[in-house]
Amino acid sequence: MLDIRAGIMRADMQKEDALKIRLEGVSKTFRSRGREVNALGNVDIEIKQSEFVSLVGPSGCGKSTVLNLVAGLLAPSTGTVYYDGEEVQGLNGRVGYMTQKDTLLPWRTAEDNVALPLELHCRGVSRAERNERVADIINLVGLRGFEKHYPAELSGGMRKRLGLARTLIYEPETLLMDEPFGALDAQLKLLMHDQLQTLTQQRKMTVVFVTHDLAEAVALSDRVLVFSARPGRIRAMREVPISRPRDVFTVRFTEAFSRLNEELWNELKDEVVKGTDV
Amino acid sequence: MANTTAVVKPGRTIRLDDGLSPLARWVTSGVGLTLTRLAILVCVLGAWELASGRLLSKYWLSSPSAIGRTLWRWAEDGSLWSHLGATLSEMTIGYVLGCLAGIGVGLLLGFMPNLYRVVIPFFGGLYCLPKVALAPLFVIFLGIDLGSKVALVGITVFFLILYSTLDGINDIDRDLIQSLRLMGATKSEISRKVLIPGCLRWVFTGMRIAVRYAFTAAILGEVIASNRGIGYLIEANAGQFDSTGVFAGVLVLVFCSLTLSELLTRWEASRGGSAGGFGPGS
Repeated sequence: MLDIRAGIMRADMQKEDALKIRLEGVSKTFRSRGREVNALGNVDIEIKQSEFVSLVGPSGCGKSTVLNLVAGLLAPSTGTVYYDGEEVQGLNGRVGYMTQKDTLLPWRTAEDNVALPLELHCRGVSRAERNERVADIINLVGLRGFEKHYPAELSGGMRKRLGLARTLIYEPETLLMDEPFGALDAQLKLLMHDQLQTLTQQRKMTVVFVTHDLAEAVALSDRVLVFSARPGRIRAMREVPISRPRDVFTVRFTEAFSRLNEELWNELKDEVVKGTDV
Repeated sequence: MANTTAVVKPGRTIRLDDGLSPLARWVTSGVGLTLTRLAILVCVLGAWELASGRLLSKYWLSSPSAIGRTLWRWAEDGSLWSHLGATLSEMTIGYVLGCLAGIGVGLLLGFMPNLYRVVIPFFGGLYCLPKVALAPLFVIFLGIDLGSKVALVGITVFFLILYSTLDGINDIDRDLIQSLRLMGATKSEISRKVLIPGCLRWVFTGMRIAVRYAFTAAILGEVIASNRGIGYLIEANAGQFDSTGVFAGVLVLVFCSLTLSELLTRWEASRGGSAGGFGPGS
């Protein structure tokens, strides 16, 4: 029965030729020390090819869980996660995942860390091309001059940017980002927004972006999903009525931006209060 | 009483010799320190020499001059060098074999978590066993020559290195491995790029500690049963109640371990804070 349904769905999607990621009736319950924690309620999410979607919501509402499900690091308790119309089972190698915690290798210098994805057999990039691309991307994230430094010698913000460079360098078709810019100061954040937008637009990447920062979500996304407090459900969903690419530096002063920001904040506010009560 | 509480300004090094007289300072630093130490040594040896045969029995405690003569005799007839060579080669061969096996088995178990789960209690049991207890067994198997000592050194070193390799692998952040898998790394790429470099620092630490254990194991093996080596020299002289020979042998050991310690300390210092660690931060 399920197989047939999946088959029909795959056919449907090929017709539409647009859905990249689809979560259908997905929930996730964690068990730890005999206690059950229902992290993610029953959610349905559809994300189109080349779409930039942000997930916002209070702490612990299952936003990161959604990313882990799409990456195949976790299996859903109920429901199904589809990627390109196929059920995600095991690790999903087609996504680049920038986790909240940096996973840089401490014994490699900045440039060697960034080069890592290109060293892997499955990419088969020549040394010359590798060096060139590493130099480009390090420049892009503003870390020129720090190529030979080890992660322990870099600040938190620099490590985030290094992690971003490592994720972007192999140009995965889909980017999963878990609060990638949390540790950056405001100006640097804007610069990174600009670069992220340019890159993802150029390469038509699909992006799922988790953040606490509502303004960041609105400035970057095609669509913003507001999650409720645990167990996470989708409380509101809004399209951002501003065409991309945008000028990330000035977009926040536009009428449309502030209206949507306020509207989403009203949705989010109650949930944040609920979230802190728990 | 109130001013016994010292107010230490931040950044100021507290020197324990603050307030010492100039003489005391000379005696505890620089050339004065070396001379002071020499003086102590000369006094102790001189007192020993004078007391020997008068206050102390020459038979039990020998005398520095007799020990010196014995050492000189050994050095002249070459026996000192052949015994020293025997001990050092047992130690070196055992150490190298133990390290290779320890790293090899450690990585194998690290890469195969299921195998690890099955066999680790056996290794744990043997690890706790004082290895000296196996020495008689090695003598039965391998005789009193080089082989039994190499085996004792080897097995001592093996367990030290095995456990430091395993600790190293356990210490590696699982998220690093997961992030590489998401990038599409194969199992062998994960081994080469994460597991091996990640546990290297631990392996080096284990290897450094193991040098001293290897030395002890070689000497112990010789004392138990052998026909060559410094340990044999001590044991053979003790068997003849020749305290002078025993003291001479011990003196050779003191020199050996001092040299070994000094070499290790220099090596560690030359590696500095950055080689094993990753930049000054760690």
